[in-house]
Amino acid sequence: MHTAVAITVRNHLSELERVGTVVEQFAAAHAIPARVAFEINLALDEVLTNIISYGYDDGGEHAIHVSLSADAGQLVVSVEDDGRAFNPLDAPAPDVDQSVEARPIGGLGIHLVRKVMDGLEYARRQGKNHLVMKKAIVVDG
Amino acid sequence: MEITESKKNDVVILGLQGRLDASNAGTLEQRVLSLIADGTSRFVVDCARLDYISSAGLRVLLVAAKRLSPAGGTLALAALQASIKEVLDIAGFSSIFKVYRSADEAVAAVQ
Repeated sequence: MHTAVAITVRNHLSELERVGTVVEQFAAAHAIPARVAFEINLALDEVLTNIISYGYDDGGEHAIHVSLSADAGQLVVSVEDDGRAFNPLDAPAPDVDQSVEARPIGGLGIHLVRKVMDGLEYARRQGKNHLVMKKAIVVDG
Repeated sequence: MEITESKKNDVVILGLQGRLDASNAGTLEQRVLSLIADGTSRFVVDCARLDYISSAGLRVLLVAAKRLSPAGGTLALAALQASIKEVLDIAGFSSIFKVYRSADEAVAAVQ
C-alpha cells in the first residue's frame, strides 16, 4: 500500500518543529516504528537546516517542498528547493575518532544523514536541488 | 526548548527539556559560553527530558568541550534517552563525553 504526505516548508528554522510533528504523525498513522521516525526526522532536520541556513542569499521567503511516502517496506523522503546548487553528497565525511581539540565543528549534519538513511540521491534540475533519501522500514521484533 | 539551571558546589547543572535543534541551539550556546567566561568549569547537562537533538545541538556541546578542555574543565551528560544516545554514538561523541545515568551520578563524578 502506498501512502504519502507532502508539506511546504518556509525557509525559517522555526519550521523544524512543525516538520518534526508531521513526521511523527505520518509514522504513527502508518505503524512506522518510533526509532525509524526519529531517524527520518533527524535526517530531514539536517537537510532542511542546511537549506534554510545556507541555501539563499536574498533574505527572501522561499518554499521548500518535502514529501514523505511509505511503499513496500521503504520510506522515501524527497526534498526540493530553489536555493543555490548544493549537493550534500559532496561533503566530506568527518573523522569521528578525533579528539575534542582536533574535531572540527562542521560536517556533522551530513554525516548523520548518511548514517541513518539507506540511500541518498541528488540531482540539480531546472534551477532546483532535488534530494531523495530512502530508508527501509524494519519493524522491531 | 526550556533550559533549567542549578548549581551544586561548583558544578552547574543545565536541564534541557524538549527539542534541541538549529532553531534554539544558539540560546544554549550563549548561556554555556557565558558561564564559562564567568568561571564555571564543571557542567552536567541533564538530558532526562530532552526528546530530540540534531547536529546543531551536538555542535554546542563540542564548542563547550573545546572551550573547557584546555583549562581542565569538564562537561558530562546525564540521563540520555535511547534515541539521543544513538545520535551521539553515530556522531562519534560517545568517546568525547562521559555519560551518566542520572544527574546526581554525573555531579558526583565531575566534582
